Amino acid sequence: MKKYPAVIGATLAGLAGILTFHSKATTGSLSASLGATKAGPAQAGATATKPASASQPSSTQPSDTPSTSTAPTAKGSIPPAQSSPAQSSQATVAPASPASSGPRSAVGAAEQYGYGVISVKVTVSGSKITDISVADLQTAESYSQQLANQVIPMLRNEILKAQSLHVYGISGATYTSDAYAQSVQSALTKLHFA
Amino acid sequence: MSVSATGAVRLSHDEEVMGTVVSFRILSYRCGDGALLAAIGEVCAFLHSVDDTFSTWKPSSPLSRLRRNEVGIGDVPEEIPTVLALCEEARVLSGGWFDPWAMPGGVDPTGLVKGWAIEQAVGLLSAAGVEAAILNGGGDIAAIGSPEGSSYWPVGIQHPWRPEALACVIAVEAAVATSGSYERGLHLVDPRTGRLSREVASATVTGLSLAVCDSLATALAVGGDPVWERIVDLEGYEAYMIRPDGSEVASDGIVFAR
Repeated sequence: MKKYPAVIGATLAGLAGILTFHSKATTGSLSASLGATKAGPAQAGATATKPASASQPSSTQPSDTPSTSTAPTAKGSIPPAQSSPAQSSQATVAPASPASSGPRSAVGAAEQYGYGVISVKVTVSGSKITDISVADLQTAESYSQQLANQVIPMLRNEILKAQSLHVYGISGATYTSDAYAQSVQSALTKLHFA
Repeated sequence: MSVSATGAVRLSHDEEVMGTVVSFRILSYRCGDGALLAAIGEVCAFLHSVDDTFSTWKPSSPLSRLRRNEVGIGDVPEEIPTVLALCEEARVLSGGWFDPWAMPGGVDPTGLVKGWAIEQAVGLLSAAGVEAAILNGGGDIAAIGSPEGSSYWPVGIQHPWRPEALACVIAVEAAVATSGSYERGLHLVDPRTGRLSREVASATVTGLSLAVCDSLATALAVGGDPVWERIVDLEGYEAYMIRPDGSEVASDGIVFAR
C-alpha cells in the first residue's frame, strides 16, 4: 500500500507545527535585541529602490576566479539593449569576507502584491540578518494599510527567526508574503548574502 | 558576484518577467564572470521571448491570437506546439485533472508554461557550462548541480495559512512546484465542473522536470487523492500536501531538510 506512507501529523490550524518547526530550527538564536534599534515599519516614503549602499564601486577581484582553462562559450553574445543582466545583476558589493564584515544594508526591489506595493530594507552583519524594515509601502485603501501593518511585523519576526534555515528558495506564493519575501530576497541578492 | 572560499564564482540576478520575478543563484568553478553574465543574458532573453509568445494578457501575443482562432497552430512559434504537446502529456499523467483545454477562454497552458520556461532556463545555463544554479520564478523552482557543502538544495514550502511561515523545508535536486487554493485567491478550476476547487490547501510536487511538477502540483491541488495516487506511482516524482484540516502527507521519497 503506497498510499500516504508518511503521515507527518496534523498541525493544529497550522500554528503548532510551525512554531515547533521554527523553535527546532533556531534554538534560540534570535537575539531579543534584533531590530529593536531600528525605527521600524512606520518609516515609509524612502522610495529609492537602489540605495547607495548597494552600488558601491566593486572591488571584486576577477583574478581569484578560476577562469583559466575551460571558460565555455556562451552561445552567441547577448544583444545589450534587450536583456538586462548588467543593470540588475549585482556585481557590486565587495566579495564576501564573512566573519569580519560590519553591518551592511540594501533595499529590496519594490514588489507589487494584491493590495499595494512594498519594498523592504535588510541589514546583515557577518552571516546574520540583523534587521528588516519597510522602506516603502503603498496601499490603495486604508484597510489594506491596516492589514499590512498587522502582517508585516509578523513577517519580519518570522524571517529573523527562520534565517538559520538557509533556504535557497520558497515554493508557493501568497499576496503580501510573496511580495515581502521577494523584496527580502532581492535585498539579500544585492548583499550577496547566503 | 563574489568568490567563495573554495574558489567558486557566485552570482545572483533577479529578472522581472512573466508577471513575476525570476531569481537566479549561480555557482560555478569553470565559468568566469563574463561568461556567466553572458549566459544570464541569454537566459533572460529567452524568458522574455516566452513571455511575449505565451502571454494571455497581451492581446497581440501568438497564444492570444491562437486562442481567438485568428491564426492556426502552423502559424505560431514552434514553442507553442511544443508546450501544448507537454500539456497533453501532463493531462494524461494527471488523469485529466490538469486540463488546459478545459479553461474558460480557450486553451490556456499557463499552468505549465512558467515551469517549462524555468526548466529550459536552467538547461541553457547548464549548456553554457554552469555547474550549479537554482532558479525561482514565483515559487516554481528548477536547479542543476548542488550548493557547496550539500548534495541538495533546501527549499522552503510556503505555509498555506500563515503567510509569514514555512510549512517545512524539503531537499530538492532538480525541480519543485507548489500550488494551492490559497494562492492569489481561489484560482484553481476543477476541469470537471468548471468551478473553483478547494480540495487541497497546498500541493507540492518534486521531480526531474519542472514542467511536470508545475502541472501536477496544480492537478493535485484541484484533484486531491486520485491525483496523489498517480504521482506517488510515477517514477522520479514525489509529492507533499497539506489538507484543509491541516494534516500533512508526504510520499516516501520526500526528504525533509533538518
